[in-house]
Amino acid sequence: MIRSALTISLPILFGFVPLGIAFGLLFQELGYPWYFASLMAIFVYAGAAQFMAIGLLSSGIGLLEIAISTFFLNSRHMFYGLAFLESFGNWNLRKLYLIFGLTDETYALMTTIKVPKNFTKERYYFFITLFAQLYWVLGCTIGALTANALSFNTNGMEFAATALFVVLLIEQWVKVKRLLPFVIAFIASAIALLFFIKHMLLVAIILSIASIVLLRLIKIQSNE
Amino acid sequence: MNEINYLLAAMLVMTVATYITRLTPFLLFGKGQESSLFNYISKSTPPMVMTILVIYMLKDVEYLTFEIVYTFIALLVTAGLHIYKRNALLSIVSGTIVYMIFVQT
Repeated sequence: MIRSALTISLPILFGFVPLGIAFGLLFQELGYPWYFASLMAIFVYAGAAQFMAIGLLSSGIGLLEIAISTFFLNSRHMFYGLAFLESFGNWNLRKLYLIFGLTDETYALMTTIKVPKNFTKERYYFFITLFAQLYWVLGCTIGALTANALSFNTNGMEFAATALFVVLLIEQWVKVKRLLPFVIAFIASAIALLFFIKHMLLVAIILSIASIVLLRLIKIQSNE
Repeated sequence: MNEINYLLAAMLVMTVATYITRLTPFLLFGKGQESSLFNYISKSTPPMVMTILVIYMLKDVEYLTFEIVYTFIALLVTAGLHIYKRNALLSIVSGTIVYMIFVQT
């Protein structure tokens, strides 16, 4: 099971390590010891929020502002758990960790893959989540450690995250085979980009879910 | 406040704030909440989120520049290879290498 989870989580490696390195490099400019980049990856474990934190920390902003900005930046995660209410199993430490590790990438991967029949879902998810976080910690640490000595040109490596989402989008298409969710999300993204570019992700997700609920309710009404 | 203490406090605050966002749905909705509408929402959300994430990642590409051309090529390589071979790793690595070659030359 561990080997299978490792193999299937490898695409996340290619997204997380370069992104983590980028974080580590930037984080070092704040002048803290390198291991704080690793600690951030272990405890905070939120890509976008960590990048934002670099800016906030350098300005010495208040803790309340940090809390509020982090909360709003990550509030899209509130919708991610919906897909796993059943499959994360009963309340225990493992479930608490699975919830802790629910990032864009793990959400995307775990909603797309099929868990092999002979494996317990929550254990399989656990290893994927654990490996994903290891990749992130690894990336952030490498970045912070090599901030002064990096000779490899990582420019453009950030495309790996885009490529990962493109691949998972295609897999979703194969799995779902209904045009509606994709079209709704596309329109919602366009609206969010036009009017709410700063909060594009959250607005687009809320708009999409609201639209799909509305359409569903209309359909149920007209069937009655 | 001392610099390191400030950083530690900030990290604590961020950890809690992030965890709350991820924990909320599990606290709000129990396991028994399996109405058909609810099921429909949780089934439709992944394809929608994936579409939104892809668009989000591409939103800063400057149009009417060379960047849009090579981004498009890299996307084409990623998607094309994936449709052809269905090997996630191969598609991601190839697309990224193509992109990096364009960015660095």
